[in-house]
Amino acid sequence: MPMGRAEEDVLTVVGDSLQGLLRLPVDLLDPIPIPQHTFMEERNQYNAMGIIKFMDQEYPANPVKILGVTRADLCNPILTYVFGEAYMGGKSAVMSYARLHMGTANKFVSREQFLDRVVKVAIHEIGHTFNLPHCHQGRCVMRPSNTIPDLDSKLNYLCPYCELFLFEALSALLRGR
Amino acid sequence: MNAKNRFMVVDDELIVRESLAAWLEKENAVVDRAESGEQALDFMQQNLYDILFVDIKMPGMGGMALLEKVKKSFPTTVVVIITAYGTVEHAVQAMKLGADDFLVKPFDPEGLGLLVTKLLEHKRLLEETHYLRSEITKCWGGTDEIVGRSRPMLELFDTIMEIAPSESSVLILGETGTGKELIARAIHAHSKRMGGPFVPINCGAIPESLMESEVFGHEKGSFTGADRPKKGLIEVAKGGTLFLDEVGEITPKMQVDLLRVLQDKAFYRVGGVDPIQADFRLISATHRDLTQEIAAGTFRQDFFYRINVITLRVPALRERKEDIPILASYFLKKIAVETNRPVDSIQEEAMRILVEHDWPGNIRELQNVVERAVVTAKKTVIGPDAFAYLNPQAHGPSIDSDSRSLRHVEMNHIRRILEEEEWNISRAAKILEVDRSTLHNKIRKYGLKRAGDTPL
Repeated sequence: MPMGRAEEDVLTVVGDSLQGLLRLPVDLLDPIPIPQHTFMEERNQYNAMGIIKFMDQEYPANPVKILGVTRADLCNPILTYVFGEAYMGGKSAVMSYARLHMGTANKFVSREQFLDRVVKVAIHEIGHTFNLPHCHQGRCVMRPSNTIPDLDSKLNYLCPYCELFLFEALSALLRGR
Repeated sequence: MNAKNRFMVVDDELIVRESLAAWLEKENAVVDRAESGEQALDFMQQNLYDILFVDIKMPGMGGMALLEKVKKSFPTTVVVIITAYGTVEHAVQAMKLGADDFLVKPFDPEGLGLLVTKLLEHKRLLEETHYLRSEITKCWGGTDEIVGRSRPMLELFDTIMEIAPSESSVLILGETGTGKELIARAIHAHSKRMGGPFVPINCGAIPESLMESEVFGHEKGSFTGADRPKKGLIEVAKGGTLFLDEVGEITPKMQVDLLRVLQDKAFYRVGGVDPIQADFRLISATHRDLTQEIAAGTFRQDFFYRINVITLRVPALRERKEDIPILASYFLKKIAVETNRPVDSIQEEAMRILVEHDWPGNIRELQNVVERAVVTAKKTVIGPDAFAYLNPQAHGPSIDSDSRSLRHVEMNHIRRILEEEEWNISRAAKILEVDRSTLHNKIRKYGLKRAGDTPL
């Protein structure tokens, strides 16, 4: 679900990659504005945790999981910035691509590399909503990445262990429904 | 990060508790949330935590008070203090109180990740050090090697534990064979220097002419035969403990040299010109009465004061007779295993002989007596016969200082043979290879009597 204005190719690549990963239909929802109460004026950023709470309240029933995608810069009450945010086993997640253009020496990276980063953040946050913790196996996409170089050094897919845990969580969830 | 680390976030602000806990949970950790210091202490009674994240400012018990309490009761739990921007001076104060690190809100995500990884590694190292220290203590023997449950020994164990961590010189007094070196090793094992060497020097065993170069080392060419430089034992003891056994045997010249080392904390190798830093703790031991030696002028008073900052007295075995059965059984088991002999216990009657004996040679003598009994034992249980030689006057008057005289030996021998032969004079005389009349004369002369009879 786009929050505020989000570019077409970003939404497409996120939708496609999640559909490929989960093997479930992914719907693109209509955009909504970012809830204004989550804006932290003193930091000029939006509180990602506030956004997640808002999404949990606004979309309680139908979709299995919901991912908000925004170009606005996100943070949370304790961290100066986040690429994305999700609660373990939660229903909603949110990601920002405000910082994903950055290359070295103040240059933007290629669109291709940028979209690769977008995919990694999207899968990582959705992974948390399926109870996947951070993974320290090789270059799995669930490896924690607090900086752009961290993000670039990992792969854009799950390691076999995380994939197994994801499908176990997914089938448990679908059985429950 | 290992699975199932346990963290606790202590903050009165729900939003901070939730965000930090959510972040930590992604690391596959169990995270508890407490909204006050009091609640945190309650949780700590139930679980052991790896890291506590504590807000410095909370109503009721503040972060500082909680930090102090936690560090007192759970010293290996790592505590990170969380402060708001602008109150960093409080964080400094917290670090002084023992906090392991601090975070200023809001934190940089990379910093938080690195901090948690670093602190978990720090905690792992703390625990590893703790484990290795206990292993090293075991290697040195510690107090486990010293056997005894008597009051004087329990007091001695307490004193060892008390004095071990200090750097002060220790003088151990005690008769020969009481285990002075074991005590010295136990002090070393429980001191901060346990990672360093324990260097014993038997001052009585090294010839005077060699003592100087043994203790201080020498440079190449400093005397005939010094074809290469050699480290002295003081240098070898760097970072550890130097144990001067039989310190009463040290020559007056050596006393002056050692006194200088103790005062200046530096020394020279024989023939050397560069001072070498001395870094050792001194433990000395002697069976002599050094105050008498000082009065006689053979021991220097100033040296005595230097080595005698703390005095430990090891009780003689006869002063702790209740330990004899424990010690005897301990040696029996040890020696039986070493010599592969199927001996497993000492009869009660035999044990009584051991307890009644005076043990002038103390524990060393006891060990030798038990060893002899084990080696010569023909049964699995050691009977009183094995120790008969210790107490030839069984049931008789105690052995006085004349017991080594020929007269006493003869008297005791006759008494023993008579008792063995149930006072049958003819048989006893035959064994003793004397006439019956001679035996009668001897019995009269020594006033020997059969148990229960009036003197002859």
